[in-house]
Amino acid sequence: MSLATHVLLAAVETKVSISPTTRVFALCLAAAFLILILELVRRRMLRERYIVVWFVAGLTLMALAIVPRALETLASLAGIQDPTAALFAFALAVAGLLLLNLTSVVSRQGDHITALAQEVALLRAKVESDEGDET
Amino acid sequence: MTAPQRVLIFIPAFNEQDSVADVVCAVRRALPQADVLVVDDGSSDETARHARRAGAEVASLPFNQGLGAALQTGYLKALRQGYDACAHLDADGQHRVKDLERILAPVLAGEADLVIGSRYLDPELTEPGAYKASLPRKIGSSIFRRALSRAVGNHFTDVTSGLRAAGPRAIALFSDYYEADYAELESLQRATRQGLRIKEIPVIMLPRAAGRSKITSLQAAFFSFKALVVLGIGSLRRERKLPLLDDADAS
Repeated sequence: MSLATHVLLAAVETKVSISPTTRVFALCLAAAFLILILELVRRRMLRERYIVVWFVAGLTLMALAIVPRALETLASLAGIQDPTAALFAFALAVAGLLLLNLTSVVSRQGDHITALAQEVALLRAKVESDEGDET
Repeated sequence: MTAPQRVLIFIPAFNEQDSVADVVCAVRRALPQADVLVVDDGSSDETARHARRAGAEVASLPFNQGLGAALQTGYLKALRQGYDACAHLDADGQHRVKDLERILAPVLAGEADLVIGSRYLDPELTEPGAYKASLPRKIGSSIFRRALSRAVGNHFTDVTSGLRAAGPRAIALFSDYYEADYAELESLQRATRQGLRIKEIPVIMLPRAAGRSKITSLQAAFFSFKALVVLGIGSLRRERKLPLLDDADAS
């Protein structure tokens, strides 16, 4: 059988078994991810308000590693035959949403920076004119 | 007699060291009772020093923020210090100070909240040496006008004019927020939706005194296209009424 047929069969195969090794690997990854988040918060490198979203992501990863059936159920709910493909699709969607959230945070910060720049400009103008009056 | 009305004239300037001093001097000569503020939008040249030497107060933004932010700075000062009216003109010397007085008149008389100096309202109004727009700019301008008219249900002849006068209601509106990327267009759209009384007065635009226009024809075309998109989105936006405007309606 050619390689292409193998790939084709794999895609058609509905029950993709996830090996114990893969599960352990995924579990370790999820745990490391959660520890990293905790560490960042502990060192004040991540604001508390952003913890929730990342923690949910980390916990979801862990839950999927422990209960692989959940992924298969989710995949069949979305009408995707291959759970691995579904995983990639979901991960991509979540990553996209996080990026969008980040851009909106950046936009808001841009507005704040503009407002600060305007305050500084007006205050400096006031200080300069006051100094001019004194001399 | 009521107390004389306090007027603020502000001039947004970005790298206009060769023309800003002349504009400031002309404004101070024509309107000696008005305060003059130059908003230096993070210029890298001597704009701030030249403006200060010409007798203007100078507010220097620490870095370039764009026209909208510069204009908002002027409106912010007008709001905080309780000016009765304000007006702004470009720093390149293309606007006549004579027109500044003409656009301020309806605001000071309480007949309008926002007055725009229009280059296109009266084609007959012209004089030797007046500015002639290039063809792409004319086309872009005409697309703008149609789009804006459609988006806001109001007819304007010159939506990109940088010569405007504003009363208390417009000052409150524009100091609260001023669009960053399509400053002239979006602000006009919002002013219309807030129910401000907007008036256009024909003015003449002179050729640039110094320096070059910052917008090329290609940029102008691209700008037109993006502006159409932005205006479309703007017309979908739900407008929050400013409290002060309601008060003015009630009185």
